[in-house]
Amino acid sequence: MTSADGAAPAPLSLEDRTAPALVSGAAFLRAPFDPATARAVAALAVGWLWSLTAGLVLWILVVVAAALVPVLGLGLPLLALLLVAARAFAAAERERILTQVGVLVPAPAAPVDRGGRWGRLWGPIRDGRAWAAALYALVLLLVCTLFFAVVAALASAAVAAVAFAVVGRDSVVAGWTGLAWPATVTLALAGALVALWSAAAVAQYGSFLVVRTAHALLGPSVAQEAEARALAAEQEARVAEAAAHTARERAVVLTESRTAAVSAADTERRRIERDLHDGAQQRLVALGVELGVARRLADKDPEHAVAALELAHREIKETLGELRDLVRGIHPAVLADRGLDAALSALAGRSPVPVEVEVEGDLTPAGSAAQAAAYFVVAEALTNVAKHAGAGTARVRAAIVPDADPPRLRVTVSDDGRGGAAASPGSGLEGLRGRVAALDGTFELDSPPGAGTRLTVEVPCAS
Amino acid sequence: MRIVIAEDSVLLLDGLTRLLTAEGHEVTGHVTADSMVTALGRADAVLPDLLVTDVRMPPSHTDEGLRAAVHLRSLHPDLPVLVLSQYVEQSYASELFARGARGLGYVLKDRVADVDEFLDAVARVSAGGTVVDPEVVTQIIARHPGSDLDVLTRREREVLALMAEGRSNAAIADRLVVGLPAVEKHVTNLFMKLGLPPAADDHRRVLAVLRWLDQNGTR
Repeated sequence: MTSADGAAPAPLSLEDRTAPALVSGAAFLRAPFDPATARAVAALAVGWLWSLTAGLVLWILVVVAAALVPVLGLGLPLLALLLVAARAFAAAERERILTQVGVLVPAPAAPVDRGGRWGRLWGPIRDGRAWAAALYALVLLLVCTLFFAVVAALASAAVAAVAFAVVGRDSVVAGWTGLAWPATVTLALAGALVALWSAAAVAQYGSFLVVRTAHALLGPSVAQEAEARALAAEQEARVAEAAAHTARERAVVLTESRTAAVSAADTERRRIERDLHDGAQQRLVALGVELGVARRLADKDPEHAVAALELAHREIKETLGELRDLVRGIHPAVLADRGLDAALSALAGRSPVPVEVEVEGDLTPAGSAAQAAAYFVVAEALTNVAKHAGAGTARVRAAIVPDADPPRLRVTVSDDGRGGAAASPGSGLEGLRGRVAALDGTFELDSPPGAGTRLTVEVPCAS
Repeated sequence: MRIVIAEDSVLLLDGLTRLLTAEGHEVTGHVTADSMVTALGRADAVLPDLLVTDVRMPPSHTDEGLRAAVHLRSLHPDLPVLVLSQYVEQSYASELFARGARGLGYVLKDRVADVDEFLDAVARVSAGGTVVDPEVVTQIIARHPGSDLDVLTRREREVLALMAEGRSNAAIADRLVVGLPAVEKHVTNLFMKLGLPPAADDHRRVLAVLRWLDQNGTR
């Protein structure tokens, strides 16, 4: 009895599992002591008793019902009922085989319910698998009776031969062979061995036959199996189709993110050009004018000339500050020299809103592209916090998420301001979204009105 | 004289206003092209002696100033206009000079820093002359693959470039440190070589030269 490992589908064939003695020599040698033999004998014994009771009753009733059909069709409802019972019998048998032999016989498809009184009557009668189950009851009875009888006879013979060898010296049969007693004992013991091994092999073969028959009559019909295979193939095709669809979607996403990257870069260049044009260039021209004025006035109106020079001096300092900001916006030196950790501190230091920076571990493995993206996300987010959020404090967290493949750099910027931020087209946030998408990252903006803003960005680390 | 300036950079507008006021001019400033067009866009508007305008201005920061200048010139063909631009573009110049060159100037904004040269341009344009930035001339000439300007001598090419900038013979002579008769000879020669009709006054000459360069340029 192996109910524990019975349900586990082993890679062994049906013969290997139910009748190993018929497959391999080694298994044959140990056949009488093989657990498979014990299982087989038990299965045959129980199968015999079971078919002799339930199976036989089923068949007697089927014959009676069939005989009653010509009598005003009285047999028909009984027949339908019996075939439903045959199905139940089949289910019980499958369960018994699983428990006793450890082989799972797949169940056939449920009978088609046609509905209505006639459907309920004709459904079971037209159910081929129910008839097969009824046939199985008969076959089981025959097979079990035959094999159990043979096995019992052989086993008894073996026991008798041994008993004879031990206590049979004075029995009447001792002289039947006409041989000397030692030769007779040897012969008897040899016979006992042959009988014992035959009993084991026959038992195993019997259990194999029962399981084979169960597969054929209690399992799905050939048509059902073909249908199941077709269904599986269809499912496989659907899975493949879904995979292809996913691949296509991925291609679309990649195309979009590439476009976004190009447009983000373009927007960025335009912003730099605008900043230079409106800022430094104008200031320098104005500066030139001031200096020109100063030079013209130097002789005739020194006082005004000095005023112009002072103006020019102030403009130079402002221009320098503006250029410094602009250069930092293009690529901050601290990021290149000291990495994201230091750059985040620098950003926090410049923010008019108090910022708490929390960096977990070393961020260097993230690579320069991921760090730069994270830096600009934080820079833009903190600018927004200062400009729009009306926040009291902000918080920046950065860490590498190691359990992703590849690992991802995650930065979160949150504040306690008024919320309601959105990455609308043309906004700085939208530009960031493009930049993050270009790196195959994710961009998550959570900004319910009145409840602060939380921006979480993840970008894959350089591999 | 009365000068109207349209310039969106308040800083520069301030500087120019102070510079020109110090020179004894009366200056009105506008920070958008729209307000300038509103002020001068009527047929009976009181016109200044010179309009100085930036090309790139709000709201779209593209070429509002240039378009406003072209529009005002079509309304008031005699209004002297000096266009300042951060970038000189030959295409802007072609658009500006399409209807004539009298009292028109187009110079790089950076020239403003060279106060003397800027004041010279202001004087020349307001007096009905033509000023074309050397950078524009260089761009136009660059569009000529060697061959068709090869007929000119090196000196004649220099003269051609200076003429295209709107300079008079006297100014060219001054710039090249040669005598006036020598310049006149070069001018006659290059007009003959390029097949241009002789032109009496400077701005008509500029136009002829620019048009020749434009038409014979490779597109």
